[in-house]
Amino acid sequence: MSSRVLAAAAVLGLFLPVLPAQALPAPRKIVDYDIRATLDDSRRELKGHETLRWTNPSDVPVAELKLHLYWNAFRNNRSTFFRESGGRLRGDQADEAEGFGSIDLTSMTRDGADLLPAARFESPDDGNRDDRTVLSVPLGSPVAPGETIALEIAWTSRIPRVFARAGYVRDFYMFGQWYPKVAVFEPRGRRRRAEPGWNAHQYHANSEFYADWGDYRVALTVPERYVVASAGALVKESREGGRKTLVFEQASVHDFAWSADPRFVVREDLFDPEKDLPAGELARAAKLLGRSEADLRAGFRPVKLRYYMQPDHAGQWTRYADAQKWALAWFGLYAFPYPYAQSSCVDPPEDGTGAMGMEYQTIFTGGTMRALGNWPLNGIREPEMIVIHEFGHGWWYGLVASNEFEESWMDEGINSFTEYEMMDRRYGGIARFPLGARIGSFDLGRIQTIRAREVDRLATPSWGFAPDAYGRNSYARAATAIDQIRRTLGEEAFWRAFRAWAERWRFDHPTTEDFLDAFRPAAEGKLETLFRETWYGNGTTDYAVTRVSSTEARPFEGYDDEGNRVTAPKKASGRKPPPGEKARAAKRYESVALVSRTGTIPLPVTIVLSFENGSTWRTTWDGKAPWLRLRTTYGSRLARAEVDPDRRIVLDANPWNNARYAGEKQGPSAAAKVRAYALHGVQILLSSLWLLR
Amino acid sequence: MPPRLSPLTTGLSAAITHRRLAGVLWLGLVFSALPAWVAFGPLFAPIDQGPFRESLLRGWDSWAFLSFLGVFPRETGIAFAAVGTSLVLSVLLDLLLTTGAVRVLLSGLPRPALRRTVAEGAALFRPVVWAFARYTVSLAFWIGLLVAGPVFLLGKIAGKDAAPNGALATFGLVWAVVASLAVAANVNLRFSLARIALATGQAANARGAYRAAKKVLREARPHAAGLWLFWLVLGLAIQAAFTALGVAMNPATSAGIAALVVVRQLGFWIFAMTRIGYQASLLRFAELKRPLPPLPLAHPFPPAPEEEASTAA
Repeated sequence: MSSRVLAAAAVLGLFLPVLPAQALPAPRKIVDYDIRATLDDSRRELKGHETLRWTNPSDVPVAELKLHLYWNAFRNNRSTFFRESGGRLRGDQADEAEGFGSIDLTSMTRDGADLLPAARFESPDDGNRDDRTVLSVPLGSPVAPGETIALEIAWTSRIPRVFARAGYVRDFYMFGQWYPKVAVFEPRGRRRRAEPGWNAHQYHANSEFYADWGDYRVALTVPERYVVASAGALVKESREGGRKTLVFEQASVHDFAWSADPRFVVREDLFDPEKDLPAGELARAAKLLGRSEADLRAGFRPVKLRYYMQPDHAGQWTRYADAQKWALAWFGLYAFPYPYAQSSCVDPPEDGTGAMGMEYQTIFTGGTMRALGNWPLNGIREPEMIVIHEFGHGWWYGLVASNEFEESWMDEGINSFTEYEMMDRRYGGIARFPLGARIGSFDLGRIQTIRAREVDRLATPSWGFAPDAYGRNSYARAATAIDQIRRTLGEEAFWRAFRAWAERWRFDHPTTEDFLDAFRPAAEGKLETLFRETWYGNGTTDYAVTRVSSTEARPFEGYDDEGNRVTAPKKASGRKPPPGEKARAAKRYESVALVSRTGTIPLPVTIVLSFENGSTWRTTWDGKAPWLRLRTTYGSRLARAEVDPDRRIVLDANPWNNARYAGEKQGPSAAAKVRAYALHGVQILLSSLWLLR
Repeated sequence: MPPRLSPLTTGLSAAITHRRLAGVLWLGLVFSALPAWVAFGPLFAPIDQGPFRESLLRGWDSWAFLSFLGVFPRETGIAFAAVGTSLVLSVLLDLLLTTGAVRVLLSGLPRPALRRTVAEGAALFRPVVWAFARYTVSLAFWIGLLVAGPVFLLGKIAGKDAAPNGALATFGLVWAVVASLAVAANVNLRFSLARIALATGQAANARGAYRAAKKVLREARPHAAGLWLFWLVLGLAIQAAFTALGVAMNPATSAGIAALVVVRQLGFWIFAMTRIGYQASLLRFAELKRPLPPLPLAHPFPPAPEEEASTAA
């Protein structure tokens, strides 16, 4: 056989696992990075060199390579990132006096051949000629299928002042997307792709993640006074001339980030499944998932946890640890156990909020403030929420590696859903206040969903949303839509499908359809409209009880079937009817309830009619017609009709029209109670002014 | 007032004995909350026709709260405007009634409490409003000078690249709390003593009243500040206790709701007693520093029969 045929045969063998029908036991490694970087903190500069090994995963030759140079997003105010964000992100404003940063390649060779002269920037997403975040590099000779090439790349970076994810503030440094990183060449079939090709995106205001798995060996040289937090495990440390070099290694990841700050206070902990896996939650999961507890326990392993705290937040590391251990347990039960041996959490300073709440593999950033460490603000569970959310990304962009650029909901939406679930189950919500009030996480997500004016398709590229629509749609609305799937299918069916989906797509790259497919067998068609109107449309829904009446049934009058004229008995006044006659004369009431649905998402819904004698009648409506009239004749007056009493329609745009009373309300008034409390609140406010004068 | 008692004892005694006077202040509180109360009626009416009635009768409902804000934002906005109206009304009513209460305390004629308080307060309303204007300007000035200014300067000294929550920032925070309390105490005392000067006829206008207050405060400022702090802490404790009690009641029946209203109003009335106590303390304090002249009442109502008896006795 010719070498070409041999290569083809090898490629065929290589690509057998490209389109797996089953879950992958480990990621397919496409890339390998060997990076050396030196931080010059006096010049706010980073010099780096990397050996990038890349394997062509497809069945076609590849003639050029696409590199992400994402720090060029901060190069000037013409970059796509700046244009999209307006220099403002998550409440932080770019410092245009000293905030810009950049990454410049100083050399790039393949087998000694200089590749830089032919390289050119391109802007596949928006055609912005000023954007410098995607570099197309002709390789000289094409890379054959299955062939691995090695590129030697050197670069210099000016470090931006942090306002969005990466950069510096004082001596704190956060390095994310900091090295030249190869984009993804998708083979045929990856993410349902028909033809192989590059999937390279510019750095956007709202997305930055999609990459291939590989191994990283990173040597970081920093001034000796710095404490370094990094992805991976420290394997070597050396010191020379006031500088230290730390070598970190991490296998089977597709991203690598690190941070440095001389003020870091390091705290260490261990997630020990033997004691940190809550027994109650294990039992619950076993029941819901239909698996044995031993089976669920099997994949867990100890995980070293490190917290790099700011000195003023050092006392709050236990809050981080508690939340992260809970997340490790929960994800391990309802998705799959964490596969790495360690995780690092960086606590950014309060003047570096742009770096707070960011996810990278085996390292993430938390976020807290000193004030949140003390009563009464410690009832606000934001530090826990951030840890659970960012660490959770380790599953939803990390291990189930969706394409955040093109389907941001798959990262943020699924992650928000799991975050809400974990927050509500562990902490009772996002906030608990001293007097018993609390705010539920799902509730907060729902209200953002139903208040969203800019409703967009969930399956929209991150840069393609209507202005201001990205956040609500990718996070809260997506999470609420997933919750809607759960509430429609029921807990058991949902969690079984969810865990099966997560396990199937671990170490792989799923799409929207892959996610929806996971629930289709259990849904039996019930959810197709929801999928169409939410993931591929901007549908809404609102159920309401629009009319309720109950009147005394009139006795039969007229001609009966035998043609006899029947007249209604006249009411006898002033005379007690004998017992038998009383029973015959028992009143009956004709009651009518009209339930309507507006919007475009019909969902099966429960309706309950409550009668004055305390009895209730429960029925289910498929919700497909615009309205449903329920008519009943019964021996008691209809008191109330309610649609969705169990709060299963979480996409319901207006829950306040879900019930209606037939007549005057009976019993105590909740409005009076709320009014009384509100009045007392006002009186507290007014009388507190007495204390001031 | 018996001359032997200290300001604190006088205040405590007055708080207990002048319950009717506290009732007048409480009535002012109720009256000033009326705009909010009226606005809350239609605002919360949907609760009894909607799906959250039962859950709200049981207690807190996170989704009811959030969805209410989401579904009724306009109505909530209107209610907030009403609360603003209540706030303004409360300031004006308090100026009227507390001044009247001071005059009643001075007169030693506690009845007819409401009419006398309103009439006496009305007689001095104009200069008291001017004194209050001076109070607000003074408060803003001193907060700016002693709180905002130093905190800003500390920030400047620390520099742009100072670590958050460093020693200077922490000092600034502590300073802000302590200085705010000191400013609040001082400005409050000046205003309250100026009102007493107006009430006792020692000054005819706000300017003169503030001058008189300054003289009274001189050399005894810590004592006066101690009085202010005592009544502040006592007031806060009462507010906190009754608020916690009200929340704990969480009524689910009509009778329970009625009981909740009664208990909370009782709490505000007791809170009003502390205000009477504070004013009485300050009156005694001012009297000790500068004997008060005999008080010609602006509106000498005929005394009630039992007052005649007690006067005769």
